[in-house]
Amino acid sequence: MKPREGRYRFPVDALGIWLSANVDRMSPEAHSAPRSLAEALRARDDSSLAALLRSRPDLVTPVPTDLTQLATRAGTRASVLRALERLDRFALQTAEALAVAPDPASYDTLLGLMTGDAGDEAVAGALPRALHALREQALVWGGDDRLRLVRTAREVLAPSPQHPSPTGLGPTVQEATSGMSPGRIQEIVTTAGLPSTHDSVSAVAALTALFTHRKKLARLLAQAPEAAREVLSRLVWGPPYGQVTADPAAHLRWLLDRGLLLPTAPGTVVLPREVALHLRAGRAHRATEPLPPAVVPAASHSPQVVDATAAGQAYTALATVEELLKEWDEGGPAVLRAGGLSVRDLKRTAVALDVSEPVAAFWVELAYAAGLIASDGEADERYAATPAYDEWLEQPPAERWVRLAQAWLAATRTPGLVGGRDAKDRTLSALGPGLDRSAAPEVRHRVLSLLAGLGAGAAPDAESVLARLRWERPLRGGRRDGEEGRRDGEEDLRSRLARWTLSEAELLGLTGRGALSAHGRALLGAPPAARSGSSAAEAPGPGSSTAGGHGAEATQADTTGAGASGHSASDASGHRAAGGAGDKLPVHRHRVPDRLVPLSGPEQAVAGAEAARLLAPLLPEPLDHVLLQADLTAVAPGPLRRPLADTLGVLADVESKGGATVYRFTPASVRRALDAGRTAADLHAFLTEHSRTPVPQPLAYLIDDVARRHGHLRVGAASAYVRCDDDALLNEILADKRAAALRLRRLAPTVLAAPTDPATLLEGLRAMGYAPAAESAEGDVLIARAHAHRTPPRAAPEPVPDGPPAPDATLLTAAIRAIRAGDLAATTPRKPVGEPLAGGELPRTSSAETLATVQAAVLTGDSLWIGYVNAEGAASQRVISPVRVEGGFVTAYDHTADEIRTYPLHRITGVAELAED
Amino acid sequence: MPRVNGPLIVQSDKTLLLEVDHERADDCRRAIAPFAELERAPEHIHTYRVTPLGLWNARAAGHDAEQVVDALVQYSRYPVPHALLVDIAETMDRYGRLTLSKHPAHGLVLTTTDRPVLEEVLKSKRIAPLVGARIDPDTVVVHPSERGQIKQTLLKLGWPAEDLAGYVDGEAHPIELLEDGWALRPYQKQAVENFWHGGSGVVVLPCGAGKTLVGAGSMAQAKSTTLILVTNTVSARQWKHELVKRTSLTEDEIGEYSGTKKEIRPVTIATYQVLTTKRKGVYPHLELFDSRDWGLIVYDEVHLLPAPVFKFTADLQARRRLGLTATLVREDGRESDVFSLIGPKRFDAPWKEIEAQGYIAPADCVEVRVNLTDSERLAYATAEAEEKYRFCATTATKRKVTEAIVRRFAGQQVLVIGQYIDQLDELGEHLNAPVIKGETSNAQREKLFDAFREGEISVLVVSKVANFSIDLPEATVAIQVSGTFGSRQEEAQRLGRVLRPKADGHQAHFYSVVARDTIDQDFAAHRQRFLAEQGYAYRIVDADEILAEGAA
Repeated sequence: MKPREGRYRFPVDALGIWLSANVDRMSPEAHSAPRSLAEALRARDDSSLAALLRSRPDLVTPVPTDLTQLATRAGTRASVLRALERLDRFALQTAEALAVAPDPASYDTLLGLMTGDAGDEAVAGALPRALHALREQALVWGGDDRLRLVRTAREVLAPSPQHPSPTGLGPTVQEATSGMSPGRIQEIVTTAGLPSTHDSVSAVAALTALFTHRKKLARLLAQAPEAAREVLSRLVWGPPYGQVTADPAAHLRWLLDRGLLLPTAPGTVVLPREVALHLRAGRAHRATEPLPPAVVPAASHSPQVVDATAAGQAYTALATVEELLKEWDEGGPAVLRAGGLSVRDLKRTAVALDVSEPVAAFWVELAYAAGLIASDGEADERYAATPAYDEWLEQPPAERWVRLAQAWLAATRTPGLVGGRDAKDRTLSALGPGLDRSAAPEVRHRVLSLLAGLGAGAAPDAESVLARLRWERPLRGGRRDGEEGRRDGEEDLRSRLARWTLSEAELLGLTGRGALSAHGRALLGAPPAARSGSSAAEAPGPGSSTAGGHGAEATQADTTGAGASGHSASDASGHRAAGGAGDKLPVHRHRVPDRLVPLSGPEQAVAGAEAARLLAPLLPEPLDHVLLQADLTAVAPGPLRRPLADTLGVLADVESKGGATVYRFTPASVRRALDAGRTAADLHAFLTEHSRTPVPQPLAYLIDDVARRHGHLRVGAASAYVRCDDDALLNEILADKRAAALRLRRLAPTVLAAPTDPATLLEGLRAMGYAPAAESAEGDVLIARAHAHRTPPRAAPEPVPDGPPAPDATLLTAAIRAIRAGDLAATTPRKPVGEPLAGGELPRTSSAETLATVQAAVLTGDSLWIGYVNAEGAASQRVISPVRVEGGFVTAYDHTADEIRTYPLHRITGVAELAED
Repeated sequence: MPRVNGPLIVQSDKTLLLEVDHERADDCRRAIAPFAELERAPEHIHTYRVTPLGLWNARAAGHDAEQVVDALVQYSRYPVPHALLVDIAETMDRYGRLTLSKHPAHGLVLTTTDRPVLEEVLKSKRIAPLVGARIDPDTVVVHPSERGQIKQTLLKLGWPAEDLAGYVDGEAHPIELLEDGWALRPYQKQAVENFWHGGSGVVVLPCGAGKTLVGAGSMAQAKSTTLILVTNTVSARQWKHELVKRTSLTEDEIGEYSGTKKEIRPVTIATYQVLTTKRKGVYPHLELFDSRDWGLIVYDEVHLLPAPVFKFTADLQARRRLGLTATLVREDGRESDVFSLIGPKRFDAPWKEIEAQGYIAPADCVEVRVNLTDSERLAYATAEAEEKYRFCATTATKRKVTEAIVRRFAGQQVLVIGQYIDQLDELGEHLNAPVIKGETSNAQREKLFDAFREGEISVLVVSKVANFSIDLPEATVAIQVSGTFGSRQEEAQRLGRVLRPKADGHQAHFYSVVARDTIDQDFAAHRQRFLAEQGYAYRIVDADEILAEGAA
């Protein structure tokens, strides 16, 4: 780093304090007002700019060269949309109000639009905070006397016939009359009772003045027929458009004549914005929501019960993951070709785990997210436990849980989607592609921190959590989210994520009975809960009126900014230390710790250790004994130590699971244990050792009975046998040294078995001087006559000609054309742009240069030589004549391919002009 | 952190494990008994199961979800999964949303406290034909004849209706208990009381615990004409005998309606068999139900109630119904019909508890494994599948073992029970004992039973006709040589034969003779599991031990 940048190494806060003092002195009122966003940004201090970049991380990738470029980028449509989507509902409403206000608007105008003529304390109180948020995000600039919404935001939010505004307001009189004949405008002006003017512009201004003048307009409206007022009242809250026939009724005509309704298209009229605002008593929104809806507790349990329940569930989570991995221990299910688990395998897993399929999908995804399972990458790909699983298994239970829970918190994979369909109507399978939703960790964290905001033991009402999330991040104008596979009537993605979070947190044992447990709280890095829950904990107080909004942005920035979490979290921890004074300037503000931010790596480790410490004593201690009963069951009244559980799992079948485990001994299960190499005596000793009660007689009998028959029948493999009624002869063969190679084994006095094939055995015995006869499967003596040997059905070999077949005419023409074009590309002398190129290398130019050159080529009609990398990553050189450049694509005649093609600009590595002949 | 060490463990499959030796086990048992069915009661840990029927039974008995949840939370050793508690509360909440009651103007009506539920059930195709006009948004008329049908259907839809429509009194008839020298046992009194209070329902008592007396007690409460439905004629005679002995009823007041007699008296005892006899596609004896204005209907051995009787019962919902049984387990799984048509469980006492109170004899259960001889094994291996059981169940070795056991208990009352007549005849011959089988006339049966009771005969060989309801008070040893394919309910009945309290407090013995390594052993394992689950520890011995003992 260069020395002059050294000051950036100071903690931002130290600078913040220093700068805030300075900026207070040089408030915008004292300077000339900024004339552009760039100037407004230039006037901002560093920490305030840092806040902007933190809340809109897309502005720093790549780093802009100067503030003008930053302002330009902040004004691009994509970036503005992104910023608007991240506003809370009130800030968005404020922006919407600014969009329908004159540009620029004063603070009082905005306040009037937000509160209406009647005024609204809550709105008036919350407005500075919302405005601050908008300013900080560079969506609004200018002093309080000249508030300006960034032009792109204005275009997005302002009402237009194609995109009705959530405000339900129509165009202004000026906009609506823009295409009207001057004669008609004069007629309207006269009918409305105004003097006629010389030109349309002053006529419209007069009409606007009339409509914005409350008293005059009220007088005019008072004369309106009853039916006309009724029509207006129907349009006032939007949509402001209405249909009229070619010959409108008298009351409509009355309105049309006075410009209270203005025609927009044949048969369509609109209520002008000024009139609507008058009828609404000045309010831009029917209902404003200045304060976040409180998260309401639905039930309250004692913290002990919550912690115990959550711990119980945490233990179940560990047991379930272990069981899942055990189930897949000897080769899990196959990986689908498209990736993921087949529906059938998921069903099977669900049955094995004794849970529903969505829940099974959750456990599978959890193990995957925690790195405990993965595809084995073999030719026939299967899922299997990773080496990390074995390490995980060795850890103490509480730490194992922390690992699972932290993996879940950070995962972008959302098991809730499993079973649904993506945009291409393909089923989304567990562990498969298409399950990542980048909003998931943020929503999870937000939901849990809302829970943490309640008192200990308080379980929230799910709907109130959802309402809060919707307030914090409303869908703009009910716009569809771009979420794949959405069907009508389904909730938006964030609400679904929030619901999944609540149910998954319960499954995982972060919450118990719906309330956040102490260990869950610790895992989030939240302070221990207050005894009495205050759901309004997050409503910002007067002294910190701007901090809440900032916190929201910081949270969002952390989860969206790539790799930024470490730096911003340390920032945040610094912020917690100091407090700040309130004003309306976009000066960096010190946050109060009312919102939790995701933790950085080291903080996570600390939080994890704390969670483990809290959880550990709540987890049941593994037992080393079971109770044996005469109905051939064993009951483990709690979790068992692992070696005991493993042995018992072989010796008996699990009949029911939960706090305890019920095992049932059956002949088959005992046989399984014997097959596993244990003897009856072992099993008796094992049961006696681990049973608290005497081993019931029927159980002991069962083991002996199964052992008695176990191995009674023996099965082995042999390829050939020797049979002879004379034992002595067989003895002789066995004793013969030459027979050693035949590896004969005596099965019975008159039978020897050999692992060699019958023919070899026959030869061997013949060589030893015996005269054996071959025997058929039925026991007959086979006549030893050589059979004619046949192969299985085989096809005759294909002829192998000397070279490839002669190409036909079409192929030849195509080939020649390709060769010529390639030749042209390679040999055309080119005019180097920038540095000269080495032979065969792709031209390299910066993207700006590329764009300029290509655009120039469109104008001049020149051919260019380009380097191009296709979607598969293969590089090629082509000669093209660009036709047009738009939307990041070049459409050009490609000499190499001899057709018109379209190339994405970003795939073009560089261009070079062709040297003139 | 101090951990509450409760006696109860709640499993994820909704079974409850109760540690019997725990100091709070008794309190816990009492707390969970109203809603959880005891499934297994071996020596250390009892298993209860929570089912929707059980929860609704509890609701019918006036318990609410909070009590149930409390009981679980209070006694549970580990935290109870939240989902299970929610599920319990939701299930219990379904009962009583709909009620059947009498409306002064419209007669029988179905009312709801939750309108969407009524809307939901009325949409069902199966409910539509059972209901009439909608009186108001919460009430709909039900055809009186469909009272049973609608209850059955609603239960299937998962919205069991509470039946508050009341009962007709029926034709009055004076009946008193004659408690001279005996009295109803406390649990019997409790059972009668619970039943009468609930209106209709089922009383579950083990064999030998005096179910007949619960019936008699209920009749004395009802004081009205009574129809008693029993499994067979012998059982009918027994009921009659008992009623004459225990109540003010005389022989003339009690009629028997069976294959042989068709008497209809103020108290009539009918067999299931005669009721379900079908001639030319109709049930000719159905008139019995309408022949009198019955005030009480008693169903003996509810778990055996044949399907057609359910159908008749559906039409009898205005009469009080008492079901008596040793177990609610039906091999055909129609427990829900018993619940909706006869009524919820009103009283329940496990065998062990009544045994502990000294009302039934403790039993020593032994399984004797006999080895088939080599030639028998070969024959068994080659036998046709359907013949296999018969073959191994009737092996000759069993005879020798049976003889040895009979010799061992010489002087005591011994019952030999079996399935196959040939085998029983042969045993009877060797043991020099009379054989009661299907073809034995009723008169002959009664005579032999009397002789056995009096001690004139000490060994009696019976086929499965003796499975139900005959009273053999002094049998102390039962030997089962073959059975019907491992039926749990049969095992219960047979064990019941020896569980009657003995005059001298003798221990009862229950022997099963089983051929080793055959399907006989598999069936026996199934039956024995039931025994063990009922808390009867059993031993397994080899036939050689018994034979050696006999020879010594």
